[in-house]
Amino acid sequence: MHIPDGFISPQVYLPAYGAAAGLWAYAARRLRATLREETIPRLAVLTAFCFVVMMIMVPLPGGTSAHATGIALLAIVFGVWTAFLSVSLVLLLQALLFGAGGVTALAVNALAMGLVGSAAARYTYRLLRRIHEGFGLVAAGWLSVNASALLMALVLGMQPVIAHAEDGQPLFFPFGLSITLPAVMIPHSLIGIGEGVLTLLMFRLLSQRGWVTRS
Amino acid sequence: MRARIALLTYLAAIVLATTIHEIGLLGVGLGLVLALAGRDWLRILRRACIAILLFNVVVTLSYGVIAGLQGTFSLEFVVLVNLRVLLLTCLTFLFVTRVNPFEALAFSRSLTYLFTLAYSQSMAFKQALENFRLAFKSRRIEQVGLRDRYRHSARMSVHFLDKSLHQATEITQVMRSRGFFDD
Repeated sequence: MHIPDGFISPQVYLPAYGAAAGLWAYAARRLRATLREETIPRLAVLTAFCFVVMMIMVPLPGGTSAHATGIALLAIVFGVWTAFLSVSLVLLLQALLFGAGGVTALAVNALAMGLVGSAAARYTYRLLRRIHEGFGLVAAGWLSVNASALLMALVLGMQPVIAHAEDGQPLFFPFGLSITLPAVMIPHSLIGIGEGVLTLLMFRLLSQRGWVTRS
Repeated sequence: MRARIALLTYLAAIVLATTIHEIGLLGVGLGLVLALAGRDWLRILRRACIAILLFNVVVTLSYGVIAGLQGTFSLEFVVLVNLRVLLLTCLTFLFVTRVNPFEALAFSRSLTYLFTLAYSQSMAFKQALENFRLAFKSRRIEQVGLRDRYRHSARMSVHFLDKSLHQATEITQVMRSRGFFDD
């Protein structure tokens, strides 16, 4: 779901790096305060977990499938900041070791998927679990995908306004919001259902194993 | 030190490439990157083309149709954006093939450990996932229903999370026993 290299202008990705750097530092400090010695190993294995879940396919009706993200589950079980750091590290691994994903878009992707997606999932679940836990989990999974997708669609759709030549020709991503919003959101609203169902199933299995406790 | 300089040069080149909007200069940049790649130039170029193909073809074709209908089509934009994406991707692949990223991140001991652990665990999980996939494929004789496919994906995910949490405790103990936290 992430934005590739070369479609976001420096006017957007440089400030995004500035914002993400501060948030990464804050998240790392919070994690270190709670986990202490276990910070590095825990973060490393959760990054690996996030990496592998992104390779697992979410079945969609009609025999098709899409990649899962697992971000909702990470955020619900381990918190927003842990999920944010794990997703950011996965993106860094993919960019620097596999040459996949973009270095220029890394901060935007991390903020959209890791922070906005995690926060949307965590707070949706906390809000809705009192009404119906299952619905809360599905909604959290759905929203984690769609909140991230919405931010990405907005960032991409703003590019022709932010970075264009004197004659008005775009310099980076060429389509405005009227195109990016439906093009990104319609498929993701379907993918989100799959992510939601998977989040529910994974959470139930984790509950059976005693990994999660209901407070 | 060399790896760190290479990382900084790579990052500076990436930023520079996104501030240039002239096709000629981007072409020179691409030529330079491929020259630096030496004998690997064709492999890097081919790998980069494959990596960007899908997204760029979709964007280019969509732009062609929409801008064509609006009468704003610009061939210069098509060349500019595709050339820039190709240059950035070639730069990344050149960096990945020439520099050891673990060395490049060696300015921080914690970051190096984190990166190394995350990478090694990711590779182990990737292999396990492939084994699961093959096992699932070899044990079915007919089309698997949606419900079973979900169950399979959920079970795999939970297995990896289970393994992750056990590994975290184990790795912490290993690091403690080797004096990592003593400094």
